[in-house]
Amino acid sequence: MSAAKGYDDGGAVAPQSNPPGPAVGFRTGPEDQWRRVHPVSPLVRGWLAVVGLIVVFGRNSFDDLVQAIGTGGRHRPGGAPVWLILSVLAAAVVIFAVVFFLSWFYTRYQVTDDHVRVNSGVIFRQQRQARIDRVQAIDVVQPLLARIFSLAELKFEVADAGKSAMKLSFLNLDEAKRLRAAILARASGMRVDPDQPSAISEAPEREVLALTPGRIAGATLLSGITVAALVLTALVVGALLGTGSPALLVVFIPLLLAVGAAYWKAFTTDCNFRVAVSPDGVRLHYGLLDTRAQTIPPGRVQAVGVTQSPLWRLTGWYRVHVNVAGYGADHGDSGGRTVVLPAGTEAEVMTVLGLIFPDPGVADPVRVFTAGLRGKGRDQGFIHSPRRARLLDPFAWRRNAYRATDTALLCRHGLLFRRLQVVPHERTQSLSLFQGPLMRRLGLVDFELHSTAGPVRPMVHHLDLVSARELFTGQAARAASARRTGRPERWMEERPAGPDLAGAASPSSADKDNQYEQ
Amino acid sequence: MREPIDPVGLDFERVSPKLVTVRLIERGLGALVLTTVASLPLVLHLTGPWRGLPAWLAWSLPLAVLLAMIWRLVLIPRQVRAIGYAERDDDLLICGGIFFQRVMVVPYGRMQYVDVSVGPVERAFGLSSVKMHTASASTNAVLEGLPAAEAARLREQLSARGEAKLAGL
Repeated sequence: MSAAKGYDDGGAVAPQSNPPGPAVGFRTGPEDQWRRVHPVSPLVRGWLAVVGLIVVFGRNSFDDLVQAIGTGGRHRPGGAPVWLILSVLAAAVVIFAVVFFLSWFYTRYQVTDDHVRVNSGVIFRQQRQARIDRVQAIDVVQPLLARIFSLAELKFEVADAGKSAMKLSFLNLDEAKRLRAAILARASGMRVDPDQPSAISEAPEREVLALTPGRIAGATLLSGITVAALVLTALVVGALLGTGSPALLVVFIPLLLAVGAAYWKAFTTDCNFRVAVSPDGVRLHYGLLDTRAQTIPPGRVQAVGVTQSPLWRLTGWYRVHVNVAGYGADHGDSGGRTVVLPAGTEAEVMTVLGLIFPDPGVADPVRVFTAGLRGKGRDQGFIHSPRRARLLDPFAWRRNAYRATDTALLCRHGLLFRRLQVVPHERTQSLSLFQGPLMRRLGLVDFELHSTAGPVRPMVHHLDLVSARELFTGQAARAASARRTGRPERWMEERPAGPDLAGAASPSSADKDNQYEQ
Repeated sequence: MREPIDPVGLDFERVSPKLVTVRLIERGLGALVLTTVASLPLVLHLTGPWRGLPAWLAWSLPLAVLLAMIWRLVLIPRQVRAIGYAERDDDLLICGGIFFQRVMVVPYGRMQYVDVSVGPVERAFGLSSVKMHTASASTNAVLEGLPAAEAARLREQLSARGEAKLAGL
């Protein structure tokens, strides 16, 4: 496969940010070629500490200082003398400058053909090295302050369940993008011309869908935040009426603040959500103040979960989550990273599914996936819980179902909270069947498919014994054969010889017609 | 002795019956400690400092703990007999449990690493435990009570097959 194969058709669209010639960055240099992050980085990272110190210090001393200067050097009795204030200030500046300088000076990174390496730390030195072809996802993150300086953080994820493998903060935005392109090109197994390493251009990106701010606002309003706010308000009002003490009104203040903050966070995180596709995988852009661009290379999605809450049924929206080995369970500050579609219509869900799983493995994917989203009973070959499961699942027993296509397993759940989980056979880790005493009495079995850590936990509840056993052995066999024919880690390399599935699943399929569209 | 949820047409290897003794010792010690702790109120009640505690409560607490512990010990032989594993071409099957039955299949191609561990009691009886890890944290595939030689063989076998079949994550 030649160097530019796969990017050919998009050559004209390649961004101009990377002119040909000996450009900067990531050329496959000698082993000792190390680079440093942008010098402003520590300030951007540590600005909260600086601001906090200024506020604490300033509150006590700023008045004194102004007053002292105003009155010609004489300070007000009891206040700190001017020289003390100034020297403390100078010391603080020097300390910060030294700490920031050292942390910048000792942080170095290197991208070679096979590895990304980062050395950091002043007293406790840390050297990290990750294999490029093990990349699970790459994020380019821009916190608000970094955006002002046009800087960006590059996050390189490997399969370690959420701990960020490599964090380069901060780089010039252009350099971050170039670095991402270089890493992805190497990870994809493209041959890099050793004489012209900078010839790697960023894979052209084609925008597939964008969500309007109105959609995000609507989704936020119809979310659990509103329900929680209403319930809390009702409680407070009830207490107010019960006790008749108006002092309880004070409770509303923190309540309003909390609800407002939750709305604000949900809205700003998902605002400007755009989904694009490139030969290097699916790229998500989002964020109002802090922006983030996530790239998930082909074949890195371990499982997909589509959910719909009862409120969203009014508008027909769905939310799509993914399990990616590098993202982990999505806790902490990285919240929301596992969302690939915060609120989408059914057609948009199909589009996104088409990007993630180009090969649905079934002749009529729209019908099958729609049946998975909101179908019931045996429609489209779904196999659901037997009638006797009514005792355990009085309402949802006809929704609890599975369907195996040639390439993926679909698990469907829930009547009120609709859920559909899709796991490609290739990405099956292990399987288990479970049966408790009550289920044994009823002849029911739970099926669980283990995926990497993430928001999606694929399961099928309360299956009939025979169909559960069939699913268990069948799925093990399907997973085994999918592993043999599976696409290689380096997605631009030819897949190993085997049954020809390439037509649908080859990298260029992203530019083909989406099979999930009617 | 095949449990109903296991896949049909497979012969499961059973683990060593010595595991019964190992578990009896381990759990017996645990039970002893727990029962002692649960008897503390009773002792305090009888010796004086905690006269106020109702007698029925003082007696029933350690008794309940003791009964639960005995029940756990009684189950052990059946539990051990229920544990089994089968090596197939592409994956390893593990089954176990009496009331709460579970059967799990772990593909060789998805195994990230294999742990072999030996506790003090296990060592005295020449047994080891083998634990298989995949990229998923929910894969809880442990086989206890394998004779040391069998554990070593299984480890080598699993590693070799895993390497041959590994395909990404």
